Amino acid sequence: MKIVVFIQQIVSTQVKLQGIDYFDTSRVTEDDLVINPSGKNAIEGALKLKDGHGAEVTAVCVRGLKPEKALREAIAMGCDKAIGVKDDSFYTDDPLLLAEIYVKILEKIGEYDLIFLGVEEQSTSSYAVAAMLAEKLDMPSVLYAEEIEVKDDILRVGHVLEGGRKIVDMPKKGLISCSDSQYFTPRYTSMRGILTAKRAEIPTWTATDLGLAANIVGKEAASLIQVSLSNIVIEKESYIIKEGEPEEMVDKLLAKMKEDEVKLGV
Amino acid sequence: MKKILVFTQIREEKVEENTLSLLNKLQEVFKDVEITAALFGKQIKEDWIQELGKHGVKKVYAINALELEVYLSRPYVKTMLEIIKETQPMMVIASGMVYGEDLIPRLAVHHGVSCAQRVVDFTLDGEDILFHTPVRDDQAIMITKLKGEIKFATTRTGAFFINENPTGGSPEIASIDVSFEPKDMIVSHVEIKKAERTVNLKDAKVIVAAGRGVGGKDNFQIIRELAELLGGEIGATRACTDVHWIEETYEIGQTGQSVSPDLYIGAGISGAPQHMSGIKAKTIIAINTDEGAPIFNYADYGIVGDMHSILPILKKKLEG
Ligand SMILES: Cc1cc2nc3c(=O)[nH]c(=O)nc-3n(C[C@H](O)[C@H](O)[C@H](O)COP(=O)(O)OP(=O)(O)OC[C@H]3O[C@@H](n4cnc5c(N)ncnc54)[C@H](O)[C@@H]3O)c2cc1C
Ligand SMILES: Nc1ncnc2c1ncn2[C@@H]1O[C@H](COP(=O)(O)O)[C@@H](O)[C@H]1O
Repeated sequence: MKIVVFIQQIVSTQVKLQGIDYFDTSRVTEDDLVINPSGKNAIEGALKLKDGHGAEVTAVCVRGLKPEKALREAIAMGCDKAIGVKDDSFYTDDPLLLAEIYVKILEKIGEYDLIFLGVEEQSTSSYAVAAMLAEKLDMPSVLYAEEIEVKDDILRVGHVLEGGRKIVDMPKKGLISCSDSQYFTPRYTSMRGILTAKRAEIPTWTATDLGLAANIVGKEAASLIQVSLSNIVIEKESYIIKEGEPEEMVDKLLAKMKEDEVKLGV
Repeated sequence: MKKILVFTQIREEKVEENTLSLLNKLQEVFKDVEITAALFGKQIKEDWIQELGKHGVKKVYAINALELEVYLSRPYVKTMLEIIKETQPMMVIASGMVYGEDLIPRLAVHHGVSCAQRVVDFTLDGEDILFHTPVRDDQAIMITKLKGEIKFATTRTGAFFINENPTGGSPEIASIDVSFEPKDMIVSHVEIKKAERTVNLKDAKVIVAAGRGVGGKDNFQIIRELAELLGGEIGATRACTDVHWIEETYEIGQTGQSVSPDLYIGAGISGAPQHMSGIKAKTIIAINTDEGAPIFNYADYGIVGDMHSILPILKKKLEG
C-alpha cells in the first residue's frame, strides 16, 4: 500500500501576528514554524495503517517558509519519504489552486493508493482542499474521519456527524481527511527516527518539475480573492488571572466576581 | 429574478437550526432575490417543506431517492449539479455542518471556481458579495470575494439568528430526474451511531464543562462535584466523549448540544469554534494552562493554571 500525506508548515498560532503584519513573516523565527496540527493527525493516520498493515508513506509539504523542517519531522515520526514543493509563482491561499498543485504532485509521484490530509489548514483556514482534491481526482473519499478500521479489501471509516458518528465503507484506494480525535493523536518522534530524518534526502520540486505554468496556479488565476485581513478585536472586557499560587488566583477570581455582582451558582 | 440555492440539512428529524438562521440572514442581506432550497432524503416530510416556506423559501426541490437516504458525496453532488443547471442561481450555499462543508467545495470544483467556507457574515460592495471568515484560530477575520457566475459558500454554525416569527407561505415543490450508478455508491453507508440524548442541557443555568485537559475518566469527579455544588449540569468537549471519558449526551457544540446557561465554566478546553459555537452564556469562566488558548477570547473571567489544582480549591472556597 502506498500512502501520500499532504502536510503544511504554518506559523504556530501561538505566535500572535498583529494586524497589517499578518503576512509579514520577517519576524518569524524557525522555531515558530510548525507542521499544521491537522497535518500531524494525517501523518498519524497513515502511520497507523503502516504499523498494522504495512505501507510506504510519503509526506509532501507545499506550503511553508522552510518546508524541509516540517518534512524532517514527518520522517522522524515514521514517514518513509518526503518531498518539498515550492515555487514563488504558487498562490496557495486559494484552495482550488492548491488542490490543482496537489493533482500535479500526485501525477508526478505516479503510484499511490491512499491520500491523507488534515481536516483544516490553520493559516488561511479554507477547509476545502480535501473535498476539492477528491473531486478533481474523482476518488472515493471520506472527510472528518475519526477512526479507521481495515476490513479485508475495504476501509471502515467512522467520521464526525452532528449528533453522533457515521460509519462508512470505502475502497482502499481513496482520500481521507483526519480530525483530531484520539485515534489520530500524533505520536512523538523517536530517537531512531530523528537520526533517519537527519540523513534523509528531501527533494524540492518546483513548478517546472510539475509542468505547471505560472498562470495556472498563480495569483491571477485565483477565484477566491482576499480583500482584507484584520485582527479580531475582542470587545469583551475580560479579567484573566495569569500569575500567582492557585489559591491566590481563586481568591482573586471570587473577589472580582463578587465586585461585579456575578453570581456563582443558581 | 436572481436566485440563491440553499442546501437544506436535517438534524434529528427537523430542518436544522443553522439552515433556518441562514435563510433569515440571506433575506436580510439580499433584497430582490428568490430563495430556492434543495432537500434530499428517502422520505421527505411535508413538515420540512412547509418549515422552509415559512422561513422564506419560494421553491423547494424535494428529491426522494433510496440513494439519498443519508449524505454521501457522490449521489448528493450529482443531484445538486442537476438542480444548479436548472435553476442557474447566483449563489449556492449551505450551513456549515459536516455535510455542507463536504458538498459545497465539490460543487465549486465542477464549476471551476473556489468557495468560501465557514462564513460568519456577508456584506455587499456594489455588485460584489464580501464573505467574512475567521482565520488562524479566530485571531483574524479575512474578507474575500469570489469570481465566477455562481458563488459557492458555507456558513459557520451558530453565526446567525433564527427569525422567531417567520411569515412565509407554502413553497412551490419541484423535482428533477436523476439516476444513480454503482459507481456513485462506492462509498457506502454502514450505520449512524446516534449519540444518546439522555440529559437535556438546554435549560441548565450553570454548566461546568471539561475538555481533554481533564486527563481521564476519573478526573470528571471534581467536575461533577462542582456542578452539583452550583446546582448545575456537567458538559464536555468531543475530545472527551470520543474516548468515552464521559457519556456522549454531555457533548456541547456543533455536533453536540447547544446550551445557553447564565454561567459556563470551561476547564481544560482549548476553545475550538466547533465547541464554542454551541455556547451562548451570560458569563464564561475559563481555566487553562495555556495562556494562548482561544477560549480566553470568549471568557469573561479566566485563570491561567492547572485545573487539577484550581478546581478543588474553588470547590472548597465555595463550600466554606
Ligand atoms: C466537523 C467537526 C465538528 C466538531 N464538533 C464538535 C462539537 O460539537 N463539540 C466539541 O467540543 N468539539 C467538536 N469538534 C472537535 C473540535 O474541533 C476540537 O477538537 C475539540 O473541541 C477539542 O476539545 P478540547 O478543547 O477538549 O481539546 P484540546 O483542543 O486538545 O484542548 C485541551 C486544552 O486543555 C488544556 N489543558 C491541558 N492540561 C490542562 C490542565 N491540567 N489544566 C488546565 N488546562 C489544561 C490545554 O492547554 C488545551 O488548551 C468537532 C470537530 C469537527 C471536525
Ligand atoms: N503572516 C502569516 N501568518 C501565518 N502564516 C503565515 C504568514 N505568513 C506566511 N505564513 C505561512 O507561510 C507559508 C507560506 O505561505 P504561502 O507561500 O502562501 O503558501 C504558509 O503555510 C503560511 O502558513
